[in-house]
Formats: sequence, structure tokens, C-alpha cells
Amino acid sequence: MHYVKSSPNSRHMNLVFMILLGLLMLCPSIAMAKDTLTLAIKGEPAEGYDPTLGWGRYGSPLFQSTLLKRNENMKIVTDLATSYSLSKDGLLWTVTIREDAKFSDGTPLTAKDVEYTFNTAAQAGGKVDLMSLNKAEAKDATTILFTLKKTDSTFVNRFISLGIVPKASHGPGYARMPIGSGPYRMVEWNEGQQMIAEANPYYYGDAPYFKRLVFLFTDEDTSFAAAKAGQVDIVVVPQALAVQTIPGMTMHAVHSVDNRGLMFPTVPATGKTTDKGAPIGNDVTADKAIRQAINKVIDRKALVAGILEGYGSPAYSVCDGLPWFNPANTFADNDADAARKILADAGWKDSDGDGIVEKNGLKAEFTIIYPAERSIRQYLALASADMIKKIGINAKVEGKRSWDEIKQLMHSNVIVFGWGSHDPIEIYHLYSSHHAGDGYNNPGLYTNPKVDEYLDKALAAPNYEASLEYWMKSQWDGETGTSALGDAPWAWLVNLDHTYFISDHLNVGTSQVEPHGHGWPITANIEKWTWID
Amino acid sequence: MNTTTSFWLRKAGKLVLILTMVSVLAFTLVSLSPIDPVTAYIGMDRMQISTEQEQKIIERWGLDKPAPERFIKWAKHALSGDLGQSMIFNEPVTKVIGKRFTTSLWLMASAWTISGILGFIFGVLAGTNRNSLLDRSIRFYAYTLASTPSFWLGLVLLSIFSVTLGITPICGATPTGISPADATLWQKLHHLILPAATLSVIGVAQIALHTREKMIDAMNSDYALFAFAQGETRRGVAWRHALRNVALPAVTLQFASLGELFGGSVLAEQVFSYPGLGKATVEAGIRGDVPLLLGIAIFSALFVFCGNLIADVLYGVFDPRIRIGSEEAR
Repeated sequence: MHYVKSSPNSRHMNLVFMILLGLLMLCPSIAMAKDTLTLAIKGEPAEGYDPTLGWGRYGSPLFQSTLLKRNENMKIVTDLATSYSLSKDGLLWTVTIREDAKFSDGTPLTAKDVEYTFNTAAQAGGKVDLMSLNKAEAKDATTILFTLKKTDSTFVNRFISLGIVPKASHGPGYARMPIGSGPYRMVEWNEGQQMIAEANPYYYGDAPYFKRLVFLFTDEDTSFAAAKAGQVDIVVVPQALAVQTIPGMTMHAVHSVDNRGLMFPTVPATGKTTDKGAPIGNDVTADKAIRQAINKVIDRKALVAGILEGYGSPAYSVCDGLPWFNPANTFADNDADAARKILADAGWKDSDGDGIVEKNGLKAEFTIIYPAERSIRQYLALASADMIKKIGINAKVEGKRSWDEIKQLMHSNVIVFGWGSHDPIEIYHLYSSHHAGDGYNNPGLYTNPKVDEYLDKALAAPNYEASLEYWMKSQWDGETGTSALGDAPWAWLVNLDHTYFISDHLNVGTSQVEPHGHGWPITANIEKWTWID
Repeated sequence: MNTTTSFWLRKAGKLVLILTMVSVLAFTLVSLSPIDPVTAYIGMDRMQISTEQEQKIIERWGLDKPAPERFIKWAKHALSGDLGQSMIFNEPVTKVIGKRFTTSLWLMASAWTISGILGFIFGVLAGTNRNSLLDRSIRFYAYTLASTPSFWLGLVLLSIFSVTLGITPICGATPTGISPADATLWQKLHHLILPAATLSVIGVAQIALHTREKMIDAMNSDYALFAFAQGETRRGVAWRHALRNVALPAVTLQFASLGELFGGSVLAEQVFSYPGLGKATVEAGIRGDVPLLLGIAIFSALFVFCGNLIADVLYGVFDPRIRIGSEEAR
């Protein structure tokens, strides 16, 4: 100030102004212009933005567009495609695409590009599973034929998740400088730090409100700190932090099928092992009554309130609320008397008075295992063990350092797993006996011929709509199924809400039920987001 | 054959031996690690990926072949300068290391310079004025910080200067929304302050303590005693006689500390979300990216080797008596 007073001429004033400006530039809390949105939602794809390797399978691929998409009610609607149909035998898809679509470099998107994308992804060895595709073929500029090797009603999900890349410019460098027909195009990606995108002028849909997006790829603590410092407009936080407050921001909780549940080995231990030497079977959990009783006694509402701070919902299947969810799965839980009755009817009773029930000299005891670094799973394991204690089942709880360790134990112990996706194929891999014990597929080696029949029928259904019925029946058909009323190979516990702090001015519309994977899925409708003053 | 040539030949031979051993050892360790890279890669997509597709991924990464065969294949390529393709970044390993190291270089270079210079000055001051208040405070500082984990110090600095005071940025190497190419030198430096401070504040301790010991030795040596006897002051002895003798071990230490610097930056980068080589190393480790880990192991071995080599060469510069080829001259 002294400086200004003693030298009031304009040159010095300018200097002071410049210094002030310089300081302002350094100041981190400077407000962003409204056409720029800063997001700290995790989900940096280390290997780049190449859909043929798996980019974009959650939420929107952002830079690319897909043939179909799911709207906020999970209904399948068209995007690039204008119409699509499946032949009677379920082996030939015919898809026509819009004529006005262009890539962000101005070149038109044709059926050739779609053909190239699908055939390339099928060969790429990434996270796109196109094993049932025989080949994609462009018939003319806007029609593509997809022939399948076998009927697969879940194939339609590839149309929803696989972003179309340009045949002309797709190559080794593509993943780091993607070109697509999506609402945004990449400006720059500074790996491990941030990615900047701007609106794609060639986008065929409505121009998005935000001209520029900045994605911060920092870890959880850093992102939260940045939000507190007012540097971001939307930040993903773990449920435990959702109860905090950030000035100028609102908590936005999104329902998800990001679930957690107890997986039970369903076969007795006979000394058999897998080819990797992992022991198979557990005599206690092999008894359906034990599994049903546990399902019945667990108080899922209490788990949600106590462990998720209320940010979640009770889970009764792997797919709660999705179109292939069977509402009959839902039942009244927290019912110790009913659980005790199930046990007693099956011959489990406490004859030596130690509080733990036995049957034929076998004590109802097992170990619940969880990955040690996941605190929510740890709390769920501890709380579940506590809840089942009152019906005379004793569970030890053990954290393991890595999945690789758990892999050796998962066929013979109860494991806290979490799944949940927008593709019903998950149900098939979880419950079908065809791949039981193969990798993480059906680790409890659950077998039910009736369920297998429904699952096979669901895959072989003539189309997605027709498959829904069979997915539901595999859960409960009135007599048997994978739900807690049936064989109960799992005790599903909770669905997590995905929690975000968003700026008071940001309107993100209606978010769809999110799959497993906290973060990126919220961008599914990002082109509809707006800023309100 | 003159001594200069044999010196370089010996060094080259040593380097080849070191690199061979590092790669064999690193490969063996990674192969024995229980981490399954395919599991790490597929992650939560597990239930959407069929076993056939999983087999495709395994084939893409060449993991269907036995370990020795993979190593030989890798070594052949490595000899021609191709370190392979990083699994997690889907990019050539050399490219990943190059990009990440450029970012880390800023951090390491500034931390290294600051800690070297400050450490040396502190050590000389403390050693010259042994047991003075200055010496005791420097020692207190050094002992405290020598035992401080760098990530912890980083967190403390972060919570004070970035979260509470808000004068330094919270994360990254450039401001939010500004690409590295557009960022001004000022902005880059601003983002460098905290991580560099974390690294150098701790680095200072080692250098200062070692230099102090050497300084004390030098101040008690015969030549120092002789100088004192001729009426030289403490400062004079330190400046004119001891300094040159102390500089030599200090330089060795400084260049030998490149390894520690490397390790320290891994932790500091993690804390400050500074996207350098350290963060890439952690990623590669958790997700079992064998080619990248091997590449980084070799690169860091080379880095540390170069540090030691420079120290060897600098000996001659500081002390002509041990200059290369001095035997011939004699």
C-alpha cells in the first residue's frame, strides 16, 4: 500500500495491477467460467479411451457414441441406430444407422466404421466380450448385419456399451487421442492428473450445455480437499464421507446395483480341490437351511443405516430394480424366529448348550472372508456375523490382503463379494453350473438343473425382451430358484448408493441406476447437464 | 591400453552385469508375486467376461507361455531397445517411462539441488562451530527429520499450506483445467513447491549430518591444527583448508543419494497426486504390469549407476590427485 501512495502515477499503478493479477492467477480458488465444468469422479482409464479395448462400457464413452443406449429408466433407446431387428432364429441382427452422424474430425460415420469397430473389438483381447459374434458386415452405407455364432439375448448390450471408432484413423495412438461421434472431443489428457474435453461441433445430438469439461484424476482424499477448496463442481465421495458438508455443494445420492453379499459354498467338503489346489466345499453352508436362515435373520435395513450411513438400500438379488429383477425376491427379513424355525426343521439344534446349533455332531460354524482394504466389506462381515449369532450360527471374520489369496479360499469359505452390472449375463456367470468354479464364475459351485435350464433359455431367447422372463424365473419360479426363498446360494446384503457432492448450481437431471463402479457412470447423461444461477 | 580406456571399460562391464542381474532378479520376483495381472485388469468386469474372452486377454499379453520363455523373449527385444508394451497403459514401456520421468525430473532435480546445497551449508556450519547453539539446532532439525517418513511430512505440509491456508495447490503438476503446454513457468513452480519441499526438507538431514561429521574430522586434522598454530581463525581454517576436503565426500553422498531420491519421490508423488514415474511404479506394482515394472527397474538402476559414475568422475575435478590417468602422469 505504501508503494501505491508514494508513487501514484499510472505506470506504477499498472505494475501493482499486474502483480495483483499475477497473484490472482496463482490463487487456486478462482471461480471457473460457467461453460466449464470441473469433475473429480475418478475412473481414469489407464490404457486410454479406446472402446475396442473396453472404454465406455460404464456410462457414456463421452467421445464416441453407441448404436443404442439405456435411458434413465433403463429402457433401451436408439442413439446412432435408427432401427434394429433380430431374425426369428436369433442369429442375425440388422441395424440401420443415422445418415447425419460425423466424427469429431468432420468425416462421416458410415456402416463401414461400425463393421470395423465390432470386428476389431472381437479380436482385440480387451474387456469387450464379443465371443458370440461371428462377424459384422456393412451391407450399404447405413445398414450393418451382425451374425452370431449362437443365440445370445445379452448381445444387445454390446450395442449399448461399444462406442464406434473411425476405421480410417483407428490405430495404435488412438487410445490417447480418440476421435468419435460423441458429444465431446478430447483436447488434452495429462495422464495421472487431468483430462480436458470440449464440445464436439459435429455432434448430431443437441449441443451440450457445457463447452468444456475438466476431469480431475486425483485420489479420493485429494479430490475431497479440492472440492472443499471450491475447485471442483462435482466430486465422488465414499459413503462414509457423504454425511459431511461442503459449502456451496449438495449431496447427490444415486441408486445403484453396486451390491455386496455373502457367497456360500453350496457343496460339502469332500477333500476335492480345483486344479489350482484350492479346496472345494463347506459342510455347513452346503445345507440349504443354513443359507436360508441367514438370509432370513439378517437385518438389511440396519446394515444400510449403520454401515452406509443410510446411503444405500437392502439387496435381495444381484440385480435389484433392473428390468430382469424378479420382485418376488423381496421378503421380510430381520426375522429371528422364522430363521430359528428353518434351522430346527432341518435338524439343527443346540444340544450341548454352547449357543451354537449342531446337526449330526457338526457345529454351525464357518469363516467369512473379505478383502482387508475394503472397509465397507469388513463392517458388513462383522455385522452379519453378529446378526447370525443370535440364531446359533458362529462365524469367524477374516480379512485377506489380496484377491489372489481369496481366490484360493472362495470355494470353501463364505466371501463378501460385490457385483452389479447393466448386463444380465452376470446372472449367468454367477449361478450357471456350466462354468462353476471356473475363475470367479459361480465360486460356490451352485447347481440346480432347473435354474440352469432357465439361464440357458434366457441366453437362447429370441430377443432381449423375451429373455427377461427367464432371468426372472431363474431367481424364483414359484418353486425353486436362486433367491433366498429357493436355494439361497447367496445372502445379498445391501446396494450402495453412489454419493456425489455437486455444486448447488449444477443440474445433472435424473441419474440412472448405476452399475458397480463408483464414479464414471454418472456421466451417462452428461450432455443434458446444465448450470442454473 | 591407457587407464582412461580401462576405467570406462570396467564401468561398462559393471553396468552390463548390473542390468542383467537387475532384470533377472526383477523378473523372478514379479513372476513369484501372487498378483494375477489378468484378475487385476478385469477387476469388477469379471462377471461380464466369459472364460473364452479371458483366454484372449491372456494371449494378448503373452501370459499363456511359461515364464522362462517369456523372459527370453523379453530379453531379446530389450537388447534391441524395445522394452515391450505396458499392459496397463497399453503403450510402449519406453514411452511411458519417458513421459513420466519428464514430470518427475522437475521434482527430483529441484529437491536434489535444494537438499544438496542446504545440506552442505548446514553441515559445514554445524561442523565448524561444534556444540554451539547453531550446531545443536541443526542437529536437532536433522535428527528429527531423518526419521520422518516423507509421505507423512507431505500430508502435514498439504494440510497446513493447501487445505488450511490455501496458498499452495492441492494436487497435480499444473493448475486444474490448464494443460501442461499452456501452463506458465510460475504455475508449474507453484505446483512444485510442496512436493519439492517435502523431499528436500528430508534430504537435507542426511547430507547435513554426514557433512558435519566430515567437517569435524577436517577441523581436527593435522593440517587444520597446523593452520590454527599459525594463527588462522576457525572460519579461515574452515574456508581455506577444510572445505575442499569435505566437498569430496559430500559430492559422493549427493550423487549416491539419487537412489533415495527416487524412492522418496515415489511416496511424495503418491501424496501430492503428482503424475510422475513414482505414481506409475505404484500402479505397475499393484496391477502386475511386468513389462513396465521391469522397464522401471532397469531405468532406475541405470539412473543410480549414472549418479555414482558422475561422482567418480567428479572426484578428479575436485581433487586432482585422484584424477583418472594420474598414475601415468606420476
